[in-house]
Amino acid sequence: MHRPDIPALASGLALIALGTVLLFDRLEILEMGFGAFGPILFAALGVMLLTLGLSRRA
Amino acid sequence: MNPEQPQPKRLYRSNDRMIAGVCSGLARYFNIDPIIVRVAAVAGLLAGGVTLVAYVAALILVPVEPGEGEPEPPRPTRSTGAIVAIVVALLIAWPIVIGGGFLIAGLVFPFAFLAAAGIAAWWAVSGEGPGREPGEVAKRSLLGLVVLTGCGILFLAGGWAAGTGGGEVAAGLVIGAGVLLVIGAFTRSVRWIALPATALALGVGLVSAADLDLEGGVGEREYNPSSASDLRDRYKLGMGQLVVDLRDTSLPAGDTPLKVKVGMGQALVIVPRDVCVAATADVGAGHVDVLGHEGDGVNVDFEESRRARVGGKRLVLDADLGFGEVRVRHTRDFDRDFHSDIDQPDGNRACAGGDA
Repeated sequence: MHRPDIPALASGLALIALGTVLLFDRLEILEMGFGAFGPILFAALGVMLLTLGLSRRA
Repeated sequence: MNPEQPQPKRLYRSNDRMIAGVCSGLARYFNIDPIIVRVAAVAGLLAGGVTLVAYVAALILVPVEPGEGEPEPPRPTRSTGAIVAIVVALLIAWPIVIGGGFLIAGLVFPFAFLAAAGIAAWWAVSGEGPGREPGEVAKRSLLGLVVLTGCGILFLAGGWAAGTGGGEVAAGLVIGAGVLLVIGAFTRSVRWIALPATALALGVGLVSAADLDLEGGVGEREYNPSSASDLRDRYKLGMGQLVVDLRDTSLPAGDTPLKVKVGMGQALVIVPRDVCVAATADVGAGHVDVLGHEGDGVNVDFEESRRARVGGKRLVLDADLGFGEVRVRHTRDFDRDFHSDIDQPDGNRACAGGDA
């Protein structure tokens, strides 16, 4: 089986999560301020950078 | 070439690198510990950024040292002496430039910063480092700048979409990009999508978090109602400065409600001195100043609860701002000289108990 590109997979999942939170906020299902958006954004960026860095090291 | 003849000492970017091998290469050239050069480079960076300019210059001009087993390049296009001279000249000229405020001060540093930003962006997108040859470095820096520009446009587009009611579409695009990345992870990698999608998400997210509404238009709006009946239900502006000047407004005794909403910019309310001001303000990120009573930060929930004197007038302000400032004053003299003492407010003295 073709080995998945882990950084792309992790980045994709992080973007799906980020986009879903943004969509819910726009649809007023949840209310997001800077206090929530900041950590969510940095968590998503962290996942992307971490997997990218680990894959390059490997 | 005679093998007995010693080779001339040349400056290379070392393969033993932290970033691009400039510090390590210099250390090898001068036969000192690389950590000394790195510490000096960081110190120079903190002391005004001189080493950033020198680093970028070296990155472009100094070739990478030939790897083990690789043939010696025929001849460097620029002599080591010229390269060192350029770097040293930059090092010497930089403090003079900073001190003298020459035109170049405004050109060199932004150029170096842009070149470094371009290289970093290209590395983030493609995984390719600065490159081995000067032309390669310049090309990758340029490509990185193109990527950064594209991301900047996407960031603004995401913000604009979210501020004008199209945030759902932009959020959907972010999700779509994520799905593409997941699918691509199993078929053909499309990692490059991650950066533009993140830029788009950042624009949408910042505007959403600030609850920014850009639908009220852009520019400057000033209103001078003559009586309370002329007051609108709500004064609204998307981006810019909104001024509601009530100094010539005939306000009745008792409460007069006033609602202002600004997406990004400043909401300035000018009130007569005989009017007490009670205010609530919801600010995404910025500053509130109601006659000297202040609040600032992100997600500011400001409240100034004041009562009017018996038979007095009270303005009940309800402000909603995305980014920027809500300001209530008795005069607008500070517009003419922003830094003067005239800007000092004289308090909410028309309220019961004075300016408590």
